[in-house]
Amino acid sequence: MSQTPGHGGDQKPGKLKILADYIQSTDAWKSFFRTGYPDSLLKRMAVMRSSFVMHILPTKVGVHGLKLGYTWCMGGITLFLFLMLTLTGVILMFYYVPEEHRAFTDMKDLKFMVPYGMIMRNMHRWTAHAMVFSVIVHMARVFYTGSYKPPRQFNWVVGVILLKLTLLLSFTGYLLPWDQLGFWAVTVGTNMASATPLVGYEGPFSEFLGIRVDNDIRFAIIGGTRIGPNALIRAYVWHCVGLPLIASGLMVFHFWRVRKDGFSGPL
Amino acid sequence: MSDLNIAKSGYMLSNKPDYPRTPSWPYFVWIVFLCILFVLVFFWGVSFIFDAPLEEEAAWAKTPNPAKAPWYFIGLQELLVYFDPWIAGVLLPGQILVGLVLIPYVDISPTEQGKFSFFNRKFAVSFFSFGLFLWFFLILIGQWFRGPSWEFYWPLIDYPIGGMHWTYPGVPLKVSEAGTANVPNIIGFIGLVLFFGGGMVAPYLVAMMAGTNKIAARLKEYLDVLGPIRYVLIQVHVLLTLSVVVKMVLRLVFGFKYVVTTPYFNI
Repeated sequence: MSQTPGHGGDQKPGKLKILADYIQSTDAWKSFFRTGYPDSLLKRMAVMRSSFVMHILPTKVGVHGLKLGYTWCMGGITLFLFLMLTLTGVILMFYYVPEEHRAFTDMKDLKFMVPYGMIMRNMHRWTAHAMVFSVIVHMARVFYTGSYKPPRQFNWVVGVILLKLTLLLSFTGYLLPWDQLGFWAVTVGTNMASATPLVGYEGPFSEFLGIRVDNDIRFAIIGGTRIGPNALIRAYVWHCVGLPLIASGLMVFHFWRVRKDGFSGPL
Repeated sequence: MSDLNIAKSGYMLSNKPDYPRTPSWPYFVWIVFLCILFVLVFFWGVSFIFDAPLEEEAAWAKTPNPAKAPWYFIGLQELLVYFDPWIAGVLLPGQILVGLVLIPYVDISPTEQGKFSFFNRKFAVSFFSFGLFLWFFLILIGQWFRGPSWEFYWPLIDYPIGGMHWTYPGVPLKVSEAGTANVPNIIGFIGLVLFFGGGMVAPYLVAMMAGTNKIAARLKEYLDVLGPIRYVLIQVHVLLTLSVVVKMVLRLVFGFKYVVTTPYFNI
């Protein structure tokens, strides 16, 4: 290796470099960043394997699965939108009380009183719509690439449940602002439940079971004969606690299954 | 073992030792990072420009006309024009969910995965695409082409929303329903039996011509591989999907409201 004067091996390392090397050799640093900068193949693998955040991704990935034109990134985008929704949602929860006479004024407070409140609400709203869309597109992509075929049939089933949960998450959130838009959209949506055969009071054959407006499936869902305070608190709890917990659990399974089976490639 | 047999055995080809792979660091991590950055900046920007909708405070006494469901459910609301709520709101959404879950179990070609392909799975891709198209087509109509009383309106026409002030003097409440008639029960019943019963046996009738016709021969081969249970599961969903289109044509072109009317339910 040729050495030019002033460069290379004969030059003493600068003070910053010495400091950096020292910091990186301490136990404290190594406990945070286990593998060091991944500059070799071994370290590249180790950095994926030993990090909790990174280990959701495989250490090595099929070249085929990396193409944007193959996955459209839609599954990953859906997950990231879910995380964004969780973060903005928690922030919104600080300023929102699910009570008939307060919910709407809290919306106004978010706009006029809370610093960056409207940005949080906007991001929550638009990413929620985007997540519904990205889940549908993700499902279409998985179908068109035949990625639900053996051995991944069951993961497709979990995916369909996650699609349904995404719709329910969005739908329960629709009521929370307690404005005319959400109120009547949820009225229209839940009225469909009253048409369920046998267990909905407007559904076929329900009269044989003694089903009335105040004991049918819709009554159980909204906690009353019309959308009111009970429906608001139910939507709130399902939206903020129940559905996210179920969806998170199924998502963990969904990703674990994808990692177990590997990213698919063509025959 | 050939790749086809590997796929049939339920082992992902991308897990084969000789499958071309690359370390996830930095390539995959880089894609994920850029994707997150893009999504974050995009929705942050969108949230600065467009405010989330908020109408006036919810009021039970002020029914807006039309009251529209969230966009992802508006396709089902649009179906209410053609079907009673127990079909549009319960039976058909249930059929969609069950149909989606069934896809991996009735699709018997283990090849054609990991890539976008049409020619070796023409029926699967066509039927799924048609369903997806129908879903978004109904959303489009419901969202932009329906106005007061769920009548057809041009998207940009400014109709008054809400309260009691939407009607026009001399115009009946439901113009499009004024001229509708029901199909006589006996004809409707025969039509239903012919449609569903005939639809179930028609492919087998075509397949009986296998000796003389090339397409029929391929259909017979396909049906033999498929087996009776998978065939029934697929064909029921195909016929239900087609029946939606048939009912839409009956209603919009010929002005029929119900095919069969009974004291308990109408179809």
